[in-house]
Amino acid sequence: MSGLSDHARRNREFWDRRSDEYHERNAAFIAGGMAWGVWQIPEAELNVLGDVSGLDVLELGCGAAEWSRALLAAGARPVGLDNSAKRLEWARRANEEAGVGFPLLHASAEDVPLADGSFDLVMCDWGAMTFADPYLTVPEVARLLRPGGFAAWTGGTPWAWVTYDEGRDAHGTELLSDYFGLHRWDDAEGSVDFMLPYGEWIRLFRRSGLAVEDLIEVRPPEGARSTYRTAEDAAWARRWPLEQIWKVRKEAR
Amino acid sequence: MAELSPEAARNRDLWTQTNAEYTHEQGRRAWAQEEISWGIWSLPEREVGALAGIELEGADVIELGCGTGYVSAWLARRGARPVGVDVTPAQLETARQLQLEHGLDFPLLEADAQAVPLPDASFDLVVSEYGASIWCDPYHWIPEAARLLRPGGRLVFLCNSTLVILCSDDEEPALERLVQTQFGMHRFEWPQGGVEYHISHGSWIALLREHGFEVEALHELQAPADATTHEHYGYVTADWGRRWPAEELWRARKR
Repeated sequence: MSGLSDHARRNREFWDRRSDEYHERNAAFIAGGMAWGVWQIPEAELNVLGDVSGLDVLELGCGAAEWSRALLAAGARPVGLDNSAKRLEWARRANEEAGVGFPLLHASAEDVPLADGSFDLVMCDWGAMTFADPYLTVPEVARLLRPGGFAAWTGGTPWAWVTYDEGRDAHGTELLSDYFGLHRWDDAEGSVDFMLPYGEWIRLFRRSGLAVEDLIEVRPPEGARSTYRTAEDAAWARRWPLEQIWKVRKEAR
Repeated sequence: MAELSPEAARNRDLWTQTNAEYTHEQGRRAWAQEEISWGIWSLPEREVGALAGIELEGADVIELGCGTGYVSAWLARRGARPVGVDVTPAQLETARQLQLEHGLDFPLLEADAQAVPLPDASFDLVVSEYGASIWCDPYHWIPEAARLLRPGGRLVFLCNSTLVILCSDDEEPALERLVQTQFGMHRFEWPQGGVEYHISHGSWIALLREHGFEVEALHELQAPADATTHEHYGYVTADWGRRWPAEELWRARKR
């Protein structure tokens, strides 16, 4: 594939390198699909997607494709995309074990080799909307959606970014970094993460022809467990949103 | 005028006092200003663009919580037909004096922005600059704004950012750390203050959508490099406002 951005290349290397370790740590926790984010809040509680039967769905950053398999079971026609070939190996293995099949695509979400207007739903759970540049992915999402189709994804929050203490890998109460100019974070472990200020997200959606439908500020239940975040972060997230779900719809015109 | 809620009565008392101490004179300066500007950093509209593309000539505008009426005056000079609504007679009195001094007349109505005695669908633009936008309960004034607007009409309001509220304790100015819990945020009473309302981004979006608004923009206002801390509103320093948003402007369109 040509034209992979520098950060997409770095994230590909990062996820290829970390794939097995990630799988070992988290796969059992997220195996069921149909649950959002680092605390796996059930879709049945958040009701972000509604009835997906008959929908053409693209999952951006599908990893082992837990979500896509669950969407298939719910009657959707999923396509799983991931930037890491190693993550997709886990998806293929899991699909074989489950005796199911759907397209798995090795590509960056910043440049998806699929036709305009191919999907009713583009979704992502801490996938490409975190590890690819929203200035590239949001217009791609708009391009890939049919008019009236929608997109929904989880990721971090600006508050989580400005309070992130890299030394402790935890969120505190001090504002440690600036909000204005929020865009890219080069993590010490080698990944490149992205986040925008609230107003900048909205500007980007509108410019891309996407109407803002919802912003769910996720609050985990008391004592929520996670293989991704510590109990300290769970307690933080009971007070301030550590993850959020954007839902946008491609305008009909 | 219908009987005021305890919150509105308390806010009227606060603004009667503030008008004597500050806004009577500040209103005079604001009326004399030609340019539209926003918030404590006085950011010019030509840079912010909150009203960009909105036809003001001949537009019926209602300002919810107009205070001394300078925003309405700015809009009237651009051809709009504003109506200023405020709950504090002292501020409306200042507005009336300034109307006479500037030879600029538009209706001023003493009313609670949560129950405006005007018919449905009578306006093209609802504006609120630190008016109803922080002093009224959004779960009451947003439905009222939706009722007052014609289809396709715009809502533009300026309020404090969620982050500055999360970093505000009983003492001014805002801290560089989170002290208020976001989940459940809604009604705030500060010492020596009135009753304010601040809700999160997700809550604003859900509320606007519920009342038939399409969110068009959120302008988060940054203090410029040369800004200084405001002479009267000391809840945040200019240094803080350069790094994090102290104020934000929402713009929505009624479907």
